[in-house]
Amino acid sequence: MAHSAIVLCGGLSSRMGRPKALLPWRGRTLVEHVVATLRTVVDDVVVVTSSELDLPRLDAVVVRDREPKLGPLSGLRDGLAAASNDLAFATATDAPFLSAGFVRTMLGFGRAAAPVVEGFVQPLSAVYPRALTTTADALIAAGRMRLLHLLEAADFRSVAADELPEVESTRNLNTPDEYLGAVRRDDPGARAQVELFGLMRTTSGAATIDVDAGTLGEILDRVQSDFPMLRLRAAGEVAKNILVSLNGQAFVRDASLPVGAGDCILLMDAAVGG
Amino acid sequence: MKTFAGFHGRYWRFDLGTGTGAYIPLDEAVLRRFLGGVGLGAWLLHRESPAGVDPLAPEAALVFAFSPLVGTPLTTSAKFAVVAKSPLTGMISDSLSSSHFAIHGKRMGVDAIVLVGACAQPSVLVDGALRPTDLWGRSSEEACAALAPYGTVAAIGVAGEHLVRYATISNDGRHAGRGGLGAVMGAKKLKAIVVRGEVRTELSDAPAVLAIAKDLSKRSFGPATAKYRELGTVGNLLAFNRLAALPTRNFQSGTFDQAAALSAEQLAPTRAKAKRSCASCTIGCEHIYAFGDAKSVRVEYENVFALGPLCGIGDPDAVLAASKRCDDLGLDTISAGGTIAFAMECAERGLIAGPRFGDAAGLMALLEDIAHRRGLGALLAEGSRRAAEAIGSGSIDFAPQVKGMELPGYEPRALQTMALGFAVGTRGADHNRSGAYELDFSDTVDRLKGSPEAARLAAGTEDRAALMDALILCKFLRGVFTDLYAESAAMLRAVTGWDVTAAELVATSARIVALKKAFNIREGWTPASDTLPKRFLSEGLPDGASKGALIPRERLQDMVRAYNRARGWTDDGWLPDTVYEELAL
Ligand code: SF4
Repeated sequence: MAHSAIVLCGGLSSRMGRPKALLPWRGRTLVEHVVATLRTVVDDVVVVTSSELDLPRLDAVVVRDREPKLGPLSGLRDGLAAASNDLAFATATDAPFLSAGFVRTMLGFGRAAAPVVEGFVQPLSAVYPRALTTTADALIAAGRMRLLHLLEAADFRSVAADELPEVESTRNLNTPDEYLGAVRRDDPGARAQVELFGLMRTTSGAATIDVDAGTLGEILDRVQSDFPMLRLRAAGEVAKNILVSLNGQAFVRDASLPVGAGDCILLMDAAVGG
Repeated sequence: MKTFAGFHGRYWRFDLGTGTGAYIPLDEAVLRRFLGGVGLGAWLLHRESPAGVDPLAPEAALVFAFSPLVGTPLTTSAKFAVVAKSPLTGMISDSLSSSHFAIHGKRMGVDAIVLVGACAQPSVLVDGALRPTDLWGRSSEEACAALAPYGTVAAIGVAGEHLVRYATISNDGRHAGRGGLGAVMGAKKLKAIVVRGEVRTELSDAPAVLAIAKDLSKRSFGPATAKYRELGTVGNLLAFNRLAALPTRNFQSGTFDQAAALSAEQLAPTRAKAKRSCASCTIGCEHIYAFGDAKSVRVEYENVFALGPLCGIGDPDAVLAASKRCDDLGLDTISAGGTIAFAMECAERGLIAGPRFGDAAGLMALLEDIAHRRGLGALLAEGSRRAAEAIGSGSIDFAPQVKGMELPGYEPRALQTMALGFAVGTRGADHNRSGAYELDFSDTVDRLKGSPEAARLAAGTEDRAALMDALILCKFLRGVFTDLYAESAAMLRAVTGWDVTAAELVATSARIVALKKAFNIREGWTPASDTLPKRFLSEGLPDGASKGALIPRERLQDMVRAYNRARGWTDDGWLPDTVYEELAL
């Protein structure tokens, strides 16, 4: 029987400091990784995202969360509405350890189903019938925003951890520590790159430096200790005289920002006028 | 009797047609409301330039405006503004230049010099009188050297004589670069103006000025200016390239494959010869590089970008030689590079015959031809907008200009808040009157997705620039201030004796921006002027870290509207009556 999958990546990623969907994971972004895993099991994947997020090209249908402020229930509803099959596995984008076997097992129950891990129902590693779209609408209208209400309305099968392979699949990443811990465990040799421009390059003599994945602050501290002539940090913050770009995209200043394998940190002089 | 210090309270108006000059008093209220530099200059232009005048007609006014801080020990204060109606844009052009001309010009006992009329024959203005000159046809540098015994000189080169619409005025090795002020002077058949004098303005509280000056100098040695001191502005190039913000081959790309060869990181170790600075400057951002056969030139990011990547040229010797040639001929490097890059793209598309991207010899030959208005150079001397109108075939869509002025080295699609700054700028595409790129280089806005919020913040950067340009202080100092308005108020209080506050200066800055806008409206500005070439609205950047970026027309319109609202203007950008009343023109 054909199935669908839904990936929710509309969350704010506020504790992570950068969009979780775009965190590097095994050589690509986390959302690409999750979509690719799902595609080995299901026929169609729907990615629900917010309008602010620029996702890479995906092997999936991408829909915009119509009411992102309402939380995951609204995103799930929009995902179900766009799914092609009657049954869909739904996951958040920050599930780096999601396995095909886990998804297959969950979908094998053939009905609404959710794992219970350490006593907690995991509604973002769960199976939802597409027919729940109208129920979701009704719950939203009634202000009952928890995904659990939707599962309960479908009289879901609760699945114990010992019935499932790779329960790790339910693990999500909410903080830089959780992400970096996962990166280090997954690939103990994970490296990021630092590129130096302008004065930092001429005074240090270095153009690019390989560093261990870590928070931005940890990485700057390491570069600073290898090249003491640089001034990258001031009072625990990123020094005012430098600009930091993550992968040539956003400029960042949050020292707790996680920098993963394959990320590139550009360090530029802050005085850009001319 | 004058009750305030820092100003002379008068300007000198000289009629080049009759050869007579007069001192005209300046009200304290005007000086306090518009300060000096671009503020005073724009006010004088309103007053002295007849509405609708041809910028190259004798009646057009050419204003040299000094400022309250000129002559004080405050670092970077030796600056002046040159203001006129631009022959390139038909709008206001307010360019800054630096050094001894500011100091000695102000010592003539005036806050500004206004030139009107035109000489009957090529002349120089020395000690308040016109003299016929045989310097016509010589470089500005030669003219400055020849007249140096009489004082400090500002002169035009051959390009100004030939009314190239982006000709410069040069003094002390610096240039009032943008908008074709050299053509205005050339149209007046004035090769040079020489200033000298002994009249100093008093300071209201000299010890306080000295204390502020000491502190400011100290701070000017700190990390906020290190890049300018150690590397110069060309330090931008490689980083811009990495962000795909380096305009390349007439803005067809944001990355240049030979960028490294032109970068300060690579050039400085082998070519840096010397460092220089403007008078009264403790920063010293001028970096002199060697090129060719024992020659040398001051390198700036804008020169290298415009004559290098923009024209597809990666040979540093060729780029530095072209930069030096622009200085000698009196050509604005940005507009020269932009117009030639535009012509190169036209040639590649088969619209005209001419050199193509990467042709360094062709670039050098065109610079000569432009300055002398020969062959294709005669057309390109008109700037890219007029050239595109003549060439047709939709070439206006990729003429790299706003209001007729060529864009500086900030790719708008990769720096979208700056794009807004370009679109609304009163003197056309310009990175000195709007500092909006600072927002793009920050975690405040998304540089690849301009927004109304970013547009509102961009207005603030324009205000701060207007204040610095009126005081005048060098913008390379801006990073050392924690509160520009409060610290500027303290300086002005000590210099002038006025009880000026930070809040007053916030209002003053916005007033100066509105004053320039009012001039443009008088000269025919319409809301349609505040836009960008179609290329930026419809073609995504092809590669690099800004790949795919473009500025949809609606996004730009939303930003322009948000900017106008932030200024308290109409959504379209017209000035409401209240603003005119406040300007009290
Ligand atoms: S920083 Fe550079 S441009 Fe500014 S005043 Fe000093 S030398 Fe002149």
